[in-house]
Amino acid sequence: MSDSVASISPRGMTWARRKRALARVWRELRNDRSGFSGLLILLGFGLVALCAPLIADRSLLLAAAGRNNPDLAGPSAKFLLGTDDIGRDILAQLVWGSRVSLFIGIFATVVAVLIGSLVGLVAGYVKGKVATVLLAIDNFFLVVPFLPLAIVLAVILGRSPVTLALVIGFTSWAGSARLVRAQVLSLSERGYVERARALGANSRHVILRHILPGVAPLIIANATLIVPGAILTESTLSFLGFGDRLSPSWGKLLDGAQSSGSITLNAWWYYLPPGLCIITVVLAFTLFGRALERIFDPRLAGR
Amino acid sequence: MSNRYVIKKIIGALLTLFAVVVFNFFLFRIVDRDPLSKYRGRSKLSLEQREAMIRRMGLSGSKWDQFVVYIKSTLRLDFGRSFDSTRPVLREIADRLPATLILVGISTALTIGIGLYIGAKAGWARGSRFDRVSTSGTMVLYATPEFFFGMLLLAIVAGRTGWFPTGGLRDIGANYGFVDSLLDRAHHLVLPSLTLTLGYLGSYSLIMRTSMLETLGEDYLTTARAKGLKESDVMTHHAVPNALLPSVSVIAISFGFVIGGAITTETVFSYPGLGLATADAIRNTDLPMLQALFLVASAAVIFLNLVADLTYGLLDPRIRHST
Amino acid sequence: MIDSTVLKVRDLYVTYQSSFGPVPAVRGVDLDIALGETLGLAGESGCGKSTLAMALLRLVPPTTQISGSILLDGQNVLTMKPGQLRLVRWAQASIVFQGAQHVLNPVQRIGAQIDEAIQLHHGSTSSTVREMLALVGLSDTRADDYPHELSGGQKQRVMIAMALSCNPLLIIADEPTTALDVMVQAQILQLLDNIKRERGLSMLFITHDLSVLSHNTDRVAVMYAGRIVEVGPAEELLRGSIHPYSRALAESFPIIGDPKSRHQPKGLAGDPPDPNLLPSGCPFHPRCNVAIDSCKSIDIKLSAVAKSVDRQVACVHANDESRSVK
Ligand SMILES: Nc1ncnc2c1ncn2[C@@H]1O[C@H](COP(=O)(O)OP(=O)(O)OP(=O)(O)O)[C@@H](O)[C@H]1O
Ligand code: SF4
Ligand SMILES: [Mg+2]
Repeated sequence: MSDSVASISPRGMTWARRKRALARVWRELRNDRSGFSGLLILLGFGLVALCAPLIADRSLLLAAAGRNNPDLAGPSAKFLLGTDDIGRDILAQLVWGSRVSLFIGIFATVVAVLIGSLVGLVAGYVKGKVATVLLAIDNFFLVVPFLPLAIVLAVILGRSPVTLALVIGFTSWAGSARLVRAQVLSLSERGYVERARALGANSRHVILRHILPGVAPLIIANATLIVPGAILTESTLSFLGFGDRLSPSWGKLLDGAQSSGSITLNAWWYYLPPGLCIITVVLAFTLFGRALERIFDPRLAGR
Repeated sequence: MSNRYVIKKIIGALLTLFAVVVFNFFLFRIVDRDPLSKYRGRSKLSLEQREAMIRRMGLSGSKWDQFVVYIKSTLRLDFGRSFDSTRPVLREIADRLPATLILVGISTALTIGIGLYIGAKAGWARGSRFDRVSTSGTMVLYATPEFFFGMLLLAIVAGRTGWFPTGGLRDIGANYGFVDSLLDRAHHLVLPSLTLTLGYLGSYSLIMRTSMLETLGEDYLTTARAKGLKESDVMTHHAVPNALLPSVSVIAISFGFVIGGAITTETVFSYPGLGLATADAIRNTDLPMLQALFLVASAAVIFLNLVADLTYGLLDPRIRHST
Repeated sequence: MIDSTVLKVRDLYVTYQSSFGPVPAVRGVDLDIALGETLGLAGESGCGKSTLAMALLRLVPPTTQISGSILLDGQNVLTMKPGQLRLVRWAQASIVFQGAQHVLNPVQRIGAQIDEAIQLHHGSTSSTVREMLALVGLSDTRADDYPHELSGGQKQRVMIAMALSCNPLLIIADEPTTALDVMVQAQILQLLDNIKRERGLSMLFITHDLSVLSHNTDRVAVMYAGRIVEVGPAEELLRGSIHPYSRALAESFPIIGDPKSRHQPKGLAGDPPDPNLLPSGCPFHPRCNVAIDSCKSIDIKLSAVAKSVDRQVACVHANDESRSVK
């Protein structure tokens, strides 16, 4: 109600303020060497993932594609990174693998952040029994070892990449719920939420207009730090046998490298590239996320 | 530490354990409507055999009846038989538990010890060369999946030099005396525990570094300096004991990660513990094994959390003396 | 001739390095404290009192620039090697810190914290933890307590016991009663006074509360924006201060226990200057009600006044007949 009366100028002001804030974030990011290089690396990998069909034909992933090629052949002009144990081009798998790995990592993070923010917002906003129950659930998910839990869920629910992403998301939201709840509590303490409520705003309005904007930067920084964890979990699950060999993620490539005995056969072109890709992307996300954290939370500056 | 604190923590741990047990039922009996359908050999079963199996797995009757049966058998530590080996799950687990305990025990002790040491030193000398090098190093370690690390070790150390065995628990077929057999087992442990240790070093050292940074500005450190203490003594006698406190609770949460790491590490080194059993159970969709392994892993983490909570109580006089 | 000066500070500058640039917190301070003498140092929050105190034992952050000289029992603290400095700390001069709440290590028994100092310097005397606790009126069973088990006043007593444990020549008491309630403040002041008398100690007593100084100090120095603006015998100065800032401070003896009066003495408008943005000329001129035009550009040095040999003031009006007589 009060919203519609004074909608034009305050909202315009809000937008102007957000634009300024965004400009500030960009400026500080540009000056943060490690954070900015993390971002550049990520953009590079993102580009490769998007352009995968232009770089290598998808049919190269089929089992049949390797039939006439030598198995476990070293790098050559024809196969820049050699072939796997059934003769498929490893570079092609690596390029397409970036799609699978990044997709699962990001999709899982979206799921985790959605659940985590929802639980955190509600647990921080309402008091009483609901909050207690939510906190107990959150605590449970923090304590239960998440890899065994993810394994069990994936075995029961199925092994496709989408299921894996859902499973990873479902097992990694507890930390963000904590974080979001703490931030909501500290925002409420500053009192203007009470004021908005006293003015007759309903909960939905208070959460969307007053709390969410205050929590959003934190959620974004936190999400950037969940992605690397999700990518690592995905690679672990794939290494343990989940996922699809015909549309392999980097972790799945490592699984293939391990089970085909490439290590004892010294076929480094099989296991080295996917491992290095995982490390690089995880590191880039971590650097970028920590930079965002520093920018959004000045108390952490200098860390 | 007051009794009330201890009792509260123990009750909390038991409640969490119970929640895990219930959750386990929920997963394997409700989310998964027909566990038997995952049994590969089911097509060869006769009707009677099938019936018997349903009864043995406690799958007959209403969900509530099933729950009661499930709770009773869980209390008896009866987890049924492995789909794969058809031996009782409890036997399978008991056989493999010691190997994993040794591996995870050694690695946890090492990774916590070294990680805290590096983190404390880096945080204390923030911005120094040691800090920059160790922080970049630990970030890379953090970003490396521990199984990839294990594969590299296998390729470089075991494969090239032959200094270490590439896998297993001991040399098969060799006939050693007692001492040699111990040495042989230790020899087989080196690479897996190195993998697991390095795999989680990064998180511990980053946690401790942060904690140390938060301690740096405290007034009692100025007091210690004013008294004429050497910087190294200010650090070890005053900064570290205080910085350890917040670390302990964060470390407790991360026990689950090391246990997860054991699964892939044992797989890489074909080290026959519970981790390898988990990997095998995944590939064979061996539900009874997975169900029990999940319980064991959760129970272990809950127990370690309890230990961490009690340690915290011992370290922090504010809790130790509260009534 | 034996020089009875325990502390002799000359031309001391202390400049912190912050992310916004250098912060000149102490700017050219001279101080002398004789054996057995107590010097009171007063000034508003942020004028550099603690900085001065910490600099005496070089306890400021390592990036801080210090220049001038600090002679403690004849030795220059600023040119000492680290090992020598550690021997001097606590054995020659000790500090009762501002804000007793956080200066004790929360996870170490207080007995151990006192003993740590004694063990470190046990060459000089061999007092025991028990004796020290008794000296400050605490039972020796307290030695096994942790800081959180003590009240604020008890913590401050422990701090005093700790400061005395190595039998120093000089005690630096930095607002030792600020965080305490009125009754306890009086007790702690009394305790410090007794101990000082019994042991013939020198003391630098820092406060923002001039009224505290009237009882127990021999001389008083008033500090403003990193400098001493007036110094003289306690009674004389407290009865009739010359510098406009000292007057404002004296007229507004803060109400004890009222935290607001700490930050803004009554009858003195405006805030103390930020060390980064010092006004030109006399730094006090924006708040001074007797400022003249030249005050905006000319900074007057601390110098003796004609009336009294022991007094020094930094103000154009220092020798005005009408002002020095009161
Ligand atoms: N480590 C530091 N880095 C930068 N500036 C500092 C530092 N410590 C103190 N300052 C600044 O130096 C000035 C003097 O501070 P100081 O603590 O000496 O004041 P004070 O007179 O003791 O005040 P109070 O009565 O509040 O204790 C202040 O402006 C303060 O902000
Ligand atoms: S010099 Fe001028 S401004 Fe400074 S105190 Fe004296 S009269 Fe006031
Ligand atoms: Mg001070």
